Amino acid sequence: MDNAERLFNEIVKEYSERVYWHVRRFVNNHEDADDLVQEIFLKIWTALPSFRGEAQLFTWVYRIATNETLNWLRREKVRSALRFTSIDAEMERRIDSDPFFDGDAADRALSKAVAKLPEKQRQVFILRYYDEMPYEQMSEVLETSVGALKASYHIAQEKVRSALGKDIFIGSD
Amino acid sequence: MSKRNDITTPEGYFENLQQRLSEIPARPVRVSPVHRLAPYAAIAASFLVAVLLGNAVLRRTAPVSDEDDTWTYVSYLADALDPDGAVMMDFYDYYGEEEEQQGLSAEDIVNYLLADGISVEHLNYLSYEEGY
Repeated sequence: MDNAERLFNEIVKEYSERVYWHVRRFVNNHEDADDLVQEIFLKIWTALPSFRGEAQLFTWVYRIATNETLNWLRREKVRSALRFTSIDAEMERRIDSDPFFDGDAADRALSKAVAKLPEKQRQVFILRYYDEMPYEQMSEVLETSVGALKASYHIAQEKVRSALGKDIFIGSD
Repeated sequence: MSKRNDITTPEGYFENLQQRLSEIPARPVRVSPVHRLAPYAAIAASFLVAVLLGNAVLRRTAPVSDEDDTWTYVSYLADALDPDGAVMMDFYDYYGEEEEQQGLSAEDIVNYLLADGISVEHLNYLSYEEGY
């Protein structure tokens, strides 16, 4: 086993679960999340020789995962359009039909509200709310200033709150 | 409201996932046809862009317009085919001067005025005034 393979196996061990949960929040379906995680790690393996260590390994892995997930979402948007359905309707269908969704009605409503957020706000919301990533780390992953991320998260929160009803607590900035 | 407990995975999924992911380095590298053709497509696209840009630059900087080019070409052809200009002279005679000659003459005007009821005396007076 050479150094690259050893490093890759460490990345798998350390980050595969986190990457899975991150991806799963975007795709709202276990099978697709599983496929996408494999694609992401394949990408990580092929890009590993270009990893110079300038960014933290964690940031680099998350950046690849986020970009690949966004690419998947864009492809899914096109697929939905070709089936004459909206991506929002497709995401709702996925949430409703996912056999591994174990939450209550409020969790389901929250997932649907998050799925309706615009791309950037959804990224920020998922990283902050579900992955509980600090803003500084998010700033490195998304290559956006902390101020802009805070603003995005605030807007996303407001949208989710108004979709769910004001009485539901979904955290603060 | 829980954050992560609302979604689950099949039993033992992560052990299985790690196992599958750790096999990635051993997999043969597959190159899709799209990726194989991509460099050639890029070269073809670059060539096309260079030709279009070159054409656009030449069109902007060339001293004569397209219309002038066409006229120069027609003149060149005419000179080559008809060095004495005989045909072209006939052309001018036929479509130019001939047509002029087919216009109104003084006689036509006089005839029209007479037919319109103007008297010969009046006409003579007008001719005198105009110096005819």
